[in-house]
Amino acid sequence: MAKAAQPTAQMRRPPKVTINKLPTGVPGLDDILGGGIPEFSFNLIGGSPGCGKTTLVHQIAFANGTVDRPVLYFTVLGEPSIKMLRYQQQFSFYDESKVGDALRFINLSEAALQNDLNLVLKEIVTQVNAANPCVVVIDSFRSLARRATGEAGEMEVQAFIHHVSQFLVSAEVTTFLVGEYVHDEIRDNPLFTMVDSILWLSQVTERNSVVRKLQVFKLRGQASVPGLHTIRISDEGLQAFSRTIGLESAKVRPERRSRLSTGIPDLDKMLGGGILEGDSALVAGPSGTGKSVLATQFIGEGLRRGEPGVMAIFEERPDGYIQRADSFGLKLKAAQAAGTLEILYLRPLDLSVDETMLAILDAIKRVGAKRVVIDSLVGFEMALAPSFRADFRESLYRMIGALTGAGITILSTVEVEDNFTSLQFSHYAVSFLTDDIIRLRYVEIDGQLRKTIVVIKMRGGNHSKDIREYVIGDDGVVVIEPRRTDYSQLSTGLPDRTGPRRAQDDESPPEPKAGE
Amino acid sequence: MRTLAKRLKAFDTRTRTSGAVDDVALFGTIDTLRSHLSMLMGQGGFQALLARALVLASAEIPWLNAVRVGADGDLEGLAVAQTTSDANLSEGEVLLLAQLLSLLVAFIGIALTLRVINQIWPQLAFSAADFDTTASHEEAN
Repeated sequence: MAKAAQPTAQMRRPPKVTINKLPTGVPGLDDILGGGIPEFSFNLIGGSPGCGKTTLVHQIAFANGTVDRPVLYFTVLGEPSIKMLRYQQQFSFYDESKVGDALRFINLSEAALQNDLNLVLKEIVTQVNAANPCVVVIDSFRSLARRATGEAGEMEVQAFIHHVSQFLVSAEVTTFLVGEYVHDEIRDNPLFTMVDSILWLSQVTERNSVVRKLQVFKLRGQASVPGLHTIRISDEGLQAFSRTIGLESAKVRPERRSRLSTGIPDLDKMLGGGILEGDSALVAGPSGTGKSVLATQFIGEGLRRGEPGVMAIFEERPDGYIQRADSFGLKLKAAQAAGTLEILYLRPLDLSVDETMLAILDAIKRVGAKRVVIDSLVGFEMALAPSFRADFRESLYRMIGALTGAGITILSTVEVEDNFTSLQFSHYAVSFLTDDIIRLRYVEIDGQLRKTIVVIKMRGGNHSKDIREYVIGDDGVVVIEPRRTDYSQLSTGLPDRTGPRRAQDDESPPEPKAGE
Repeated sequence: MRTLAKRLKAFDTRTRTSGAVDDVALFGTIDTLRSHLSMLMGQGGFQALLARALVLASAEIPWLNAVRVGADGDLEGLAVAQTTSDANLSEGEVLLLAQLLSLLVAFIGIALTLRVINQIWPQLAFSAADFDTTASHEEAN
């Protein structure tokens, strides 16, 4: 018996079919789809008017059409082609050199108006056979199906969908049906069962804010990112922001992590040597306690040590930041010019966390940042569209997880109100997602409203339990006193004297304000 | 836009082999555009655009008032207009074509209009410079 004919237990299985993926031309969407649109698939882009369906499908068309394998764009009783071309050419992805060759518009309205779906199918078959396209778009498919009334009509539409689908797949075409559908139709409309994928676009309105969302309802053959993803339409067209943006690149923290100096030597000592690399630290305190100053010193110290940084600021303007830093001797402008610092000023009122995160991640990549400051969480929340505010904690969790997972050390600030009865960390109860908490607060001592600093929590190691007094001077935040033993209940802000009053001069001149 | 229309008409007339004197042959350049643009915007879309161009052109050339745009976008009544008046058909076609092109420019811009024209008549190397900078349907009046 020949050796080759002997059965072997370890016979290799023949390879599975490779499903190529078509790029969508929409930044961020290919990642959400798990790589792109499966080749030769039969897809539906649905949603209510104004969600961006036509813009999305145009981006797909311009991204894929070539002279040899063009895109055939069939228009049916929807938006007149001349208007569609008029508006779509305003987007930067619109490449007029492709129109007519790589992207051909064919109007099927006359065939559709004759109420004969066979005529429509015949026209599609003729055009596809003549052009050998890679992609076919039918916009609006809903207009074709709408004419079906009664059981007989429904059967006719189903048969039409079946024949169109069968023909186009056999012709090695990836198809996109575009239509205005409402959410409730998903369950009852057989079209939704027949298609390979459903990209669902919607608009969420809350108060005065409108946010567009995209959901991959269904996608045969590959895993996509579940959930609602924010999309934005700008001059560049559609851009998608995955709700898991950044998480996919999250790395495991190294076992041995170095400590990063805050730029405030005594605070470093209180922190056991500094903030652990890859930690998320929260600086909480009322207005005027120097949270932004401390955050600026943290970034400034990093720059001094050759660690690039990113500051995402939501309240103060960058000019103010830079000016104040200058007064402390921190040359942020020079670092910006050298490309080691980016200051992101983010305060539009309809941001999504995903957009913010993408902006921060992009800046981190650009400068190779090791340190990130978010100043402040309150401003961040205000910059979000109202519909995102409800999920702020969850969004923050994802964002901080993504950034610290990438080895970035984050210092966030949050404003809290001193109520002189308890020690509050933040309004958001975000302490669960921070590794370290530094609390600043006002304390009334000897007829003055002074400032104290205390390290509340350090997940990665021991820290000082001391409540220390600090001032904000020409060098920024400077911790000035050892812990006080002549007062109790300092943490309430209204301490009781327990020891003898120390002799001291009146403060003259007053403590200068930072930056003056 | 009239210069462009004249050049298109001159070229299209030279290349047309048919000697038939029917409505289509009379306004052949517009008919060439019709078959191409109907694919893009549908017969209805082309019919609406040509009807608007005809209204604008009729204001300058009264005999065009006797011409109608059919449902499929063809021009009806040209032969009648020719026999019942001293109509200058060539002038009428140039003006109607100029109005049609101006409307196209107004809606889809010079770049795309130019692309459409170059696809229909690739032998004619038109460029954006061939469109008047004041290209608008008013200009043709």
